[in-house]
Amino acid sequence: MSDEPRFEEAHAQLDAIVARLESGDVPLDEALDLWRRGEELYRLCVELLTAAEGRVEELETGPDDNRPGTL
Amino acid sequence: MAKIEPIVYGDRRVYPVAAFNHGLAGYIARLPTVWVEGEVTELRRADTWANVFLTLKDARSGACLPVTIPRARFDALELGLVDGERVHVEGRPELFEARGSLSFRARTIERFGEGEHAAALARLRRVLEAEGLFAPARKRRLPRFPRAVGLLTGTDAAARGDLVTAISTRYPPAWLVVHETRVQGRGAARRIVEGLRLLAEHPAVDVVVVARGGGGFEDLLPFSEEAVVRAVASCPVPVVSAVGHEQDEPLCDLAADVRASTPTAAARLVVPDLDELLSGLGQSRRRLAAGTRQALARDRGRLERTGERLRAAPRLLLERRRATLLATGGRLRTLSPVATLGRGYAIVRSGGAIVREAASLSPGDGVAVELAAGSFDARVDEVRP
Repeated sequence: MSDEPRFEEAHAQLDAIVARLESGDVPLDEALDLWRRGEELYRLCVELLTAAEGRVEELETGPDDNRPGTL
Repeated sequence: MAKIEPIVYGDRRVYPVAAFNHGLAGYIARLPTVWVEGEVTELRRADTWANVFLTLKDARSGACLPVTIPRARFDALELGLVDGERVHVEGRPELFEARGSLSFRARTIERFGEGEHAAALARLRRVLEAEGLFAPARKRRLPRFPRAVGLLTGTDAAARGDLVTAISTRYPPAWLVVHETRVQGRGAARRIVEGLRLLAEHPAVDVVVVARGGGGFEDLLPFSEEAVVRAVASCPVPVVSAVGHEQDEPLCDLAADVRASTPTAAARLVVPDLDELLSGLGQSRRRLAAGTRQALARDRGRLERTGERLRAAPRLLLERRRATLLATGGRLRTLSPVATLGRGYAIVRSGGAIVREAASLSPGDGVAVELAAGSFDARVDEVRP
């Protein structure tokens, strides 16, 4: 999961793009690029949320913890 | 109290048992209320009984003292006492007259050491507070989107199960790293510190929840031990403390970045709500499309205005020329002789040339006369130069 772009980053970028687009003075070709990039990010975010399965991982204590007499 | 009269047998004064017991009971009843310390043994309680019975045993000598306490009062204390525990009992001795037996009538019972613990806790709290360990400025913000959430829970399944359910319900893709350990009894503090360290070392854990269901004062003590409080305060990732109930305030609560009183509250703190997140994303997408459409519409508008100006240009030019032409025409007409003829003048020509002097003519010459409308030929009768 850490190799993939992190959801948080993608989400933040999407927010930034929406804000830039809504500022109202973006040239058309840039607006189209932003839109394309935003759509990609949107899909990525939704995918990251829906494709990831919840998981529960058990973290065991180190072996030295069960030494006799360490209570 | 009825007067206790002995029976006199010669020189011997003898008290009947009832009278003696009654007299003794009255004497004992004047003794002050005291605290007695001992170990609980032979604890007997039944829902149908008015009193709870136990025997208080001296830990060193084994000396015993029977104790009674009204059942309602005993239940209200919610001590959950078991045989072998050391307690402080406040009350006064009482004689059961029918049997001549002495018992200790208790008003209240406290676990031994609770007061000491409470005082030690208050001292530690003051020390750590002075050190700034609980200062609001130390509190860190929890990550909005943690990669993994670390859970430190007791081996009792309840706290863990509640928390896991609360988190995965709110955010199904959650990644939980659970460390179960003993959280009460001897060695608990050391294990909690170790568990915190392990969880914080996990490469994906961005926040840790320390959870333990409600418990007695003693059960929560490890969470107030200095080592645990310090470990919580210095944990490399933010810590949410979900220990005990609302009214408990173990010191680790004060050192944690946030305190949660229920598993649901803890879940709200550590993971986002998936439904909200998805609907927020949907909204971002709509705004994205709207923004792009707006940019498109704005540019189209600009283009249309330019186009209109372009189309309007030749017509404007034509109109300007027509106006110039009209003005020129007007000027032309004022200069034209036709207008002068219109006012009643005539042009006289002789042999094609315009006649400007009468002397250039002789009687009998033919002339052509031009009027505003039409012309005629005439002959000269007389000349008056």
